[in-house]
Amino acid sequence: MRSLKLEEASFWYPATESPALRGVSLEVAQGEIVALVGALGAGASTLLLVAADLAPRVTGGRLAGSVARRDRSGIVLPTPWTQASGMAFTVWDEVAFGPANLGWPTHEIARQVDRALEQLELVPLAARDPTTLSGGELQRVIIAAILAMDPGLVLFDEPTAELDPDGARTLWRLIRLLAKQGKAILLATSALDALPDVADRVVWLEDGAVRAVGTPDLLADVTTCDSGLGTSVATVWRSSGLPGPYPLTVGHALQRWR
Amino acid sequence: MTGARLHPFTLLAIAGALPALAWILTAPAGAAATAAVALVLTLTPGAKLTPGASPGSKGIGISQGWRQRLVVLRTAVLTAAPFWLFLLLLHDVPTTLAIGLRITTMVASFVWLVAALEPARLVEAMVAAGWRASVAYLLAATLSAVPVLKARAQRIVEAQRCRGLSPRGGVAARLRALRALALPLVLSALHEVDERALALETRGLAPGIHRTPLAPPPDPAVERAARWVLLLACLVALTRRFM
Repeated sequence: MRSLKLEEASFWYPATESPALRGVSLEVAQGEIVALVGALGAGASTLLLVAADLAPRVTGGRLAGSVARRDRSGIVLPTPWTQASGMAFTVWDEVAFGPANLGWPTHEIARQVDRALEQLELVPLAARDPTTLSGGELQRVIIAAILAMDPGLVLFDEPTAELDPDGARTLWRLIRLLAKQGKAILLATSALDALPDVADRVVWLEDGAVRAVGTPDLLADVTTCDSGLGTSVATVWRSSGLPGPYPLTVGHALQRWR
Repeated sequence: MTGARLHPFTLLAIAGALPALAWILTAPAGAAATAAVALVLTLTPGAKLTPGASPGSKGIGISQGWRQRLVVLRTAVLTAAPFWLFLLLLHDVPTTLAIGLRITTMVASFVWLVAALEPARLVEAMVAAGWRASVAYLLAATLSAVPVLKARAQRIVEAQRCRGLSPRGGVAARLRALRALALPLVLSALHEVDERALALETRGLAPGIHRTPLAPPPDPAVERAARWVLLLACLVALTRRFM
């Protein structure tokens, strides 16, 4: 079932002439993981803000086209230190901030918070003061805080930017798990190497418009690699002057060698 | 009872009543009394101005020690000091005393309130009392702005020191450092406002919501009565002053 549908969506930030999004049409189904890739300024973050109903409602600006959401959305922004509520003594309180704002009964808040803390492996930090956490720990707390609100559509903007490799791997596993549970996932990331194992579809954005849509194999496409959006393996293969098609992952490369 | 253990409404009532009484009561005796009370309050356990030193939910109100209390007192005194200087330049001694003591009461009360009031407890108390969560957050965020900006300024100064700009030295050097601090401090704070607005929206803090109070602070009858007494005291003082 469809969770999000954009039809010919264009968006202009306040006091700008050119749109940050140009005629974007996109659907995300429940249980599906869609990854947005593109150069800086391609419009991936703006698309997430539109999908989250934050643009233009909070940011201002103008939206053309239509955006239909079936589920409540939750968005993880790329700067965890500006997402903390500043109203929590402990990590547990921080994660409970959102569910409390939804007016849920306290037992439901406790259940969702405990579940989110377990999912992000944050139980040992539950009593810590959020202001004493590292960037990576705080990023996991913010992700837990969004998941504790039980959104049907989860939007991630560079979710692994603050995480170490272990934390990133845990997060990608969690994202797959969330999709299995039926949540629709739309994420913008520059961690392209993770996408073959994570994403169901990849959307390549360029100058605010959709340039191409496809399976993660798109990240080994010649045109994509020429634009610097290939996986590491595909990029190295291309740089070495080896013949195409480029392998997407190390596994694919090994198969080619054999 | 320590400041941080009092109900947030009681803290607000005290911090509001002291300046009110300072201006209502005759100077210098009345203003001196309120200033003394306000300055003593800054030394009460629980007052602190260091973000990140929160004691944790189980330890709300636990004193961080005399050092933190002295920091609160010093902040109040240093903030009030320039007012005394200007008053001395502009007025005679009796007028300086009268206005200076009142301003000291205001400053010390506010500094004590900022140091003793946990914004999260204020939000919980206001939500439990039926206030809108967005209004409660707005008030709490305003009160927590002082320590947050102080910490941000500290980070900027440290970054500038790493690049060779020292805030130490003579008056000219300090003024240069102050000018170099002001712009990034203001701009970064303004930039963060936009991001924070997005973050709070996505965390469900929107106008019209009905937030569930997670741990509303207890509001004993004696404190509720004390708040009424403070209000009555202000009204009585006001009546006597003008009758």
